[in-house]
Amino acid sequence: MKIQSLILGFFLLALCMACEKDNYAPPASQLKGSVVYNNQPIGLRSGGVQLELWQSGFALNRKIPVYINQDGSFSTALFDGTYKLTFVSGNGPWVVSKDTILLNVKGDTQVSVPVKPFFIPKEERISVQNGKVSASMTIERVDNLRTLQNVGLYVGTTAILDNINNKQKTEVTAATIGQTGGPVSLQVTLPASLSSRNYIFARLGIRVSGVNEMIFSPVVKLELK
Amino acid sequence: MRNLIRLLAIFFFSMGTGCTKNWLEREPEQILTDQQLWTNPQLVKSVIADYYSRLPYHTDFEGPYNCGPAIVYCGWKDYASYDEAMWSGVSNFDFEFRNSLIDYPFSKWRLWNYDLIRDINLAIDQIEKVNSPKMTEAIKAEYIAELRYLRAFNYFELVKRMGGVPIITTQLIYDFEGDPSYLQQTRNSEEEVYLFIEAELNDIVNSLRNQSSKTRANKYTALALKSRAMLYAGSIARYNSLMPAPISLPKGEVGIPASRAAYFFESSLKASREIISSGAYQLYKNNPDPAQNFYEMISTKNNNKEVIMAVDYSVSQGKRHLFTLENIPRSLRKDVENVSGSSALSPSLNLVESFEYTDGSPGILKGVGTGSNTAEGQKSWIFYDKPEDIFKNKDPRLAGTILYPGSSFAGQALNLQAGVYVWNATAGKYDRVEGGLNTQYSDGGRLTGGDGPLHNENYVSSTGFYLKKYLDSSPGAETSAVRSEVWWIQFRLGEVYLNAAEAAFELGQADAVSYINTLRERAGFGAGSLASLSQERIRNERKVELAFEDHRVWDLKRWRIAHEVWDGTAGNPDANIFALFPYRIVRPGHADHGKYVFDKFKSTRNTRPRYFRFGNYYSEIPQSVLDNNPKIVRNPFH
Repeated sequence: MKIQSLILGFFLLALCMACEKDNYAPPASQLKGSVVYNNQPIGLRSGGVQLELWQSGFALNRKIPVYINQDGSFSTALFDGTYKLTFVSGNGPWVVSKDTILLNVKGDTQVSVPVKPFFIPKEERISVQNGKVSASMTIERVDNLRTLQNVGLYVGTTAILDNINNKQKTEVTAATIGQTGGPVSLQVTLPASLSSRNYIFARLGIRVSGVNEMIFSPVVKLELK
Repeated sequence: MRNLIRLLAIFFFSMGTGCTKNWLEREPEQILTDQQLWTNPQLVKSVIADYYSRLPYHTDFEGPYNCGPAIVYCGWKDYASYDEAMWSGVSNFDFEFRNSLIDYPFSKWRLWNYDLIRDINLAIDQIEKVNSPKMTEAIKAEYIAELRYLRAFNYFELVKRMGGVPIITTQLIYDFEGDPSYLQQTRNSEEEVYLFIEAELNDIVNSLRNQSSKTRANKYTALALKSRAMLYAGSIARYNSLMPAPISLPKGEVGIPASRAAYFFESSLKASREIISSGAYQLYKNNPDPAQNFYEMISTKNNNKEVIMAVDYSVSQGKRHLFTLENIPRSLRKDVENVSGSSALSPSLNLVESFEYTDGSPGILKGVGTGSNTAEGQKSWIFYDKPEDIFKNKDPRLAGTILYPGSSFAGQALNLQAGVYVWNATAGKYDRVEGGLNTQYSDGGRLTGGDGPLHNENYVSSTGFYLKKYLDSSPGAETSAVRSEVWWIQFRLGEVYLNAAEAAFELGQADAVSYINTLRERAGFGAGSLASLSQERIRNERKVELAFEDHRVWDLKRWRIAHEVWDGTAGNPDANIFALFPYRIVRPGHADHGKYVFDKFKSTRNTRPRYFRFGNYYSEIPQSVLDNNPKIVRNPFH
């Protein structure tokens, strides 16, 4: 009996103490930001592009991957401290930058990550009429390093929409539109499965050769009924 | 008194033992010393056997049983990650994740096994300096050649996954001075690694013995490795440079200049020709039935002159594998007690249609519906008398590789029928009815067969096909008590013919077509079945001849078309897995009653198209490696 109550006592003691001593508080500071060009966020494929956060001064040097949302924003929970934000070379649809952005995270922090894309979509117009989605945009060349590969119009049923995740698409190669940029128009005929819905989503994308990820216009919601 | 006796006993015991000579300096009984090991040829052979078993493979018969998405090496289960097959075994996510793979992780295929390279270097060093009557110069030379083959093989596995890696040929020994930086090597260029492999193989090719062994390296194994490795190097040199934006790193750690393509193709062709002209190996032609012959070419060990090198298994010696148990068609499975198995890999319709017709026309199956259950989707049906009629006149290798409706395995007929189509006069179309395994329709005939196919069920084909290649037809091979002893082939003459054809074609040599024609003649096409070659033809020939032999993904990578073939989009027929379901027609009184029709559709169980990104061409180097050695540069895109 004496031993039993002793064990019980230790157990209760362990129950009260252990959790306080052993555990860290979870990271509480939010780092939020977006990738921008001319202060405008860049549209991407959801979760397709990754930025890296590094914190030096610790024994294990391991990156914290930060995936970018389709509207160019990203967020991550961190401990307070100094971090280095770097790009993964060739991962995003912009000119490779070796710049490191020093971040001082203290509480919730905002950051803008400037990038220089090869092309950007301008003056996008997307409309729907008689079961057809028509879109036009002007492609503005920002950098000459890479060539245009194709542009596409993507239509889907969800707000998360890109070249991989879509229901219907049309793509035009650079051979037909030329390398100089300028106005482009595209059309998608909706199949019955899409035209019978109340609304659909659409967005335009530009692909440069040699980069996996495309650059997109914002997602537009189109009311069908 | 009792204490005194005890003391005395201890005293006498220590007297008796304490003075034994070398009581504290005995030879260890469980550890072999360097001296014992390297002076004894038999023990050195065991060491080399261990190194053979530690060589890295991709889709061999091993691999951890539970192999989730985070695990790099899964063995044969990864056939379900590409376009040859999909997963239709247990639907536990650790297996099923292949059917909903969003993209290939950058860590896929990665390898950094310098532990094996270090051990091989150590063995070479020790054997070189050993001085013992039993280790004669001839034995030493033979063992060193064999070790260098293993090292070259391992470097090939490294370079095809990671690009250029540091070439380490000596032991790296730390001096405990606190500064390990002299041990940190930079990456060699991809070209240098391939040249290293070539030079090593050239050096040892005449020192290797093991003549006619199929499990230890001999002269022709080295040549076969050279034939394959140089072909890879040549095609990377050519096709990487043809990409709109070639994948490269500043110091050539990945990417080979286009100007080197011809050199590597010539080297590969020379090695292939030497194997073919030596006559040491012959295409397997022991069975007059070409389909069965093609199947036996893989699974028969007796009098098989085609196989150059294999990882062998033996039931009697206790080295066995579960590949047959895991992949046996559902109705033939015996081991229900230990339910781990049957039907794990369902070959895709994509692969089935890649097999041409024997007249050389493309292998697209004729008269299939869309599976939409509408009159429109049934318009193109052809009504077949027997389900196997749709596969009539296909390349016999199809029947040697895949079990389809109407096939039998080990003398037992399969029963593949997805359901029935019942005529609906008012709607003017057939209505689809599907059931569970082994069910009967109300007309007394079969509804769904004992082998499915079913859309979404564990241990039943989800595509309408079962795998035949590498399946063991010997009694008990599908049980966990016996298991299978079919070997896993690394190199065979058929591949060497294809390597020769491709290298000769890339070099613009006229005899390229004759190599393919020899192979096609064995497969069951007539003599001289092709008048000319095209790149597409060679690639398709490799796809069908070498299906399920661990080539497809590596071929697409070196041709630099993996990101186009598997582009991750839902509309791309190559990136999605298609199924072909057979149905029986129920329309009493009509001429089509009792006939069979087929529906082709995108598999409902495999929900994601294959998506291969640029960053997959070279795998991600583990972070721990980068941490330990800051001189290692990362691969592009990650």
